[in-house]
Amino acid sequence: MNKSLSTLENHPHIWRAREQNQQEERFSLGFEQLDKALNGGVSTSGVVRIRTLTGIGELSLFKQVISKQRSHKLIVFINPPGHIQTPWLATFGIDAKQVLIVKPSSEKDSLWATEQCLKSTACHCVILWNSGVNTKEARRLQVAATHNDALCLLFTLPNTSIKHSSAALQTLPISLDLCLNYQHHALQVSVIKQRHGWPKDNIAIQNDWTPNNRAIKWALEHNKVKRHALHSVS
Amino acid sequence: MLWAYLYLHQITLDTHEKTNSSVSNSSKYETKNKIQPQGIGKTTNRHAQQDKSQTPPVIVYCEKTNRIVQRNNAALQHGIEIGHGLAQAAALCPKVCIIPFNKEDERLILVQLAHRLYPFVSDIVIDAHNGLAIRLDNLVHYYGGHKELWSTITHELSLSKVNYHYATAWSIEAARIMALNSTDQYQSDRDNIKHLLSQCSLSLTALDKKTKEALTRVGIAYVNQLLAMPVHELGRRFDNNTITYLTALRGETFPHVTLFRPAEHFEHFTLLPFDIENTQHLTPFMVKLLDYLAHYLRARNLQTSMLCFHIDFREHPSTHLEIKSALPQSTVDSWLSLLKLRIENEVLPEPAVSLMLRCDHFETIDGNSGDFFSNAFNEVAQKQLIGRLNAKLGEDCTFQPAASDTHQFEYMSIARASSNTPELPFTSDIVPTFLFDSPKPLTQSTQVCFGPVRLHSEWWHDASRKRDYFIAQTLHGVRMLIFKDEDSQWWAQGLFS
Repeated sequence: MNKSLSTLENHPHIWRAREQNQQEERFSLGFEQLDKALNGGVSTSGVVRIRTLTGIGELSLFKQVISKQRSHKLIVFINPPGHIQTPWLATFGIDAKQVLIVKPSSEKDSLWATEQCLKSTACHCVILWNSGVNTKEARRLQVAATHNDALCLLFTLPNTSIKHSSAALQTLPISLDLCLNYQHHALQVSVIKQRHGWPKDNIAIQNDWTPNNRAIKWALEHNKVKRHALHSVS
Repeated sequence: MLWAYLYLHQITLDTHEKTNSSVSNSSKYETKNKIQPQGIGKTTNRHAQQDKSQTPPVIVYCEKTNRIVQRNNAALQHGIEIGHGLAQAAALCPKVCIIPFNKEDERLILVQLAHRLYPFVSDIVIDAHNGLAIRLDNLVHYYGGHKELWSTITHELSLSKVNYHYATAWSIEAARIMALNSTDQYQSDRDNIKHLLSQCSLSLTALDKKTKEALTRVGIAYVNQLLAMPVHELGRRFDNNTITYLTALRGETFPHVTLFRPAEHFEHFTLLPFDIENTQHLTPFMVKLLDYLAHYLRARNLQTSMLCFHIDFREHPSTHLEIKSALPQSTVDSWLSLLKLRIENEVLPEPAVSLMLRCDHFETIDGNSGDFFSNAFNEVAQKQLIGRLNAKLGEDCTFQPAASDTHQFEYMSIARASSNTPELPFTSDIVPTFLFDSPKPLTQSTQVCFGPVRLHSEWWHDASRKRDYFIAQTLHGVRMLIFKDEDSQWWAQGLFS
């Protein structure tokens, strides 16, 4: 009995929480707190699910990972929620030649396309928007991604998973499961599940992904001083 | 001169049985054609028909003459003979399978056979819808003997699985008569040929009916009698055509014939053995055609990036199925995977009767392209991926974005098929990640965090408009591109992710 248990313990797939210092290569996200919570960043291959609203800086969170790594390979956008703008890609630091946009007509086709892209070995990162995957589909994508050293970012809306509450509780066999929401003027990242690590809630990220009026405000303030001076002269 | 004449007496039937048998074991389409080459002097070239009892009786019926023109062994066992009418055949065997005879189809098959033989023999003449003549004397030198040459030809013919009668003689005309007489002997000696030719009946000659009758009336029934007649005697009684034919039969003139030249494109035609209603059943026949294409390409060291299937129907105009590959390919497997994806969603308007594969553009295989650097491999993988996605999802579903030369958000990004045109690199931090199909009225409460940016439309666009753009944030933290138009209406146009 004891012996059989020890052979089981020697199995390389069994991971113990005490083995924290994994020598696995990771892609840093560029946010100190988040990288710390994720043991250095997202793993270089596998599926990452992000439950988020569209437009709260969810892609900008992965800017470092998407644009800085494996730049000779393709970045595929599957079923994006709008027309992706080429100048934005340039601002984001991606060469438009390395981008492929796929718009399948059904969710089934988009999952098929995702799997093909991951399996092709030509892709650095496959970014998919859909309404959620089940365990079997997630497993397929995870295997395809890890075997071919590719990353799959899976964006789903948060409310869809609330609807199927049983599905929301169910954890998927993927590398990382994140949930994003915007509170207190900052993006809050919750790590629902990660491989070789502990979950962590509400990591506040200060991320400016759009231009703001600070420069104008600053200029106006300076202008005020000058105008004041001007007044005093006249 | 020495010519061989191949009389393919049941070419429609052979093709039918070939397509049938090749598809019945289509799962292993690589392992076919295991027929030993046949030597000189074998009397017939019929292959062993392994399961005679199991093959259904098949006849080829000519509608014009109401005659059975070809029949297989199973039909023969039922007593059906060539020359019977349809009613007689049906009475003898009610279950007989009937294929309509079509001269044009036979000619197409013959042309395909000529394509197949062309790499081995240079001078081929397509004589009729069922006859091929091959000039041998100029080839003997290259093959090092009659035996070697003939075994090469017969081997190729046995691979193409056709039944034929053959003969050799000093002219096409003489060889034809002997082949029609089922001589089936390879002779290069003049005396032997003369002996064999003399036994042939006069009815086999290509003389017109009137001349034949006139000759029979004076007791000439065999070719040797005809050839024994002095030419000037015949010349007095018969017209010029007869004399020309007779001199050709003697081999005294140089033949004026059009030699076969292979086409520059690849085209292969298959008659389907039965009407096929769905693409799933059509696939094995397509695989067969791809196999021919692969042989063709391999022999010429070529590859192709586009091929076209023509599917013919009885009434409906034929369907053209184009398959494109981002990367030129030559093997059956690589095309098959694309083909399967392409035809998955195809629906046939009515049952298909015949199938043709055509391929017009070829590329030579570049010997230097096969290097092992990861980037080169990556490019191949990318092209393969795009090819796969396009085949399954359609050409419009995948695209690579490109920038266009405008400041208006609506026209900034253009979808372009994957080709290499020079880029216009321009970056702008006020361009949103996603743009909606069309602006939506702004209904949520938002807070402006950047703006305004006033943009006028370009004068060459029809509608002139002036918009003040802002970046605004909703309560949930969603940042949107919004604008106020000239009527002070607020619209949302895009999202910043």
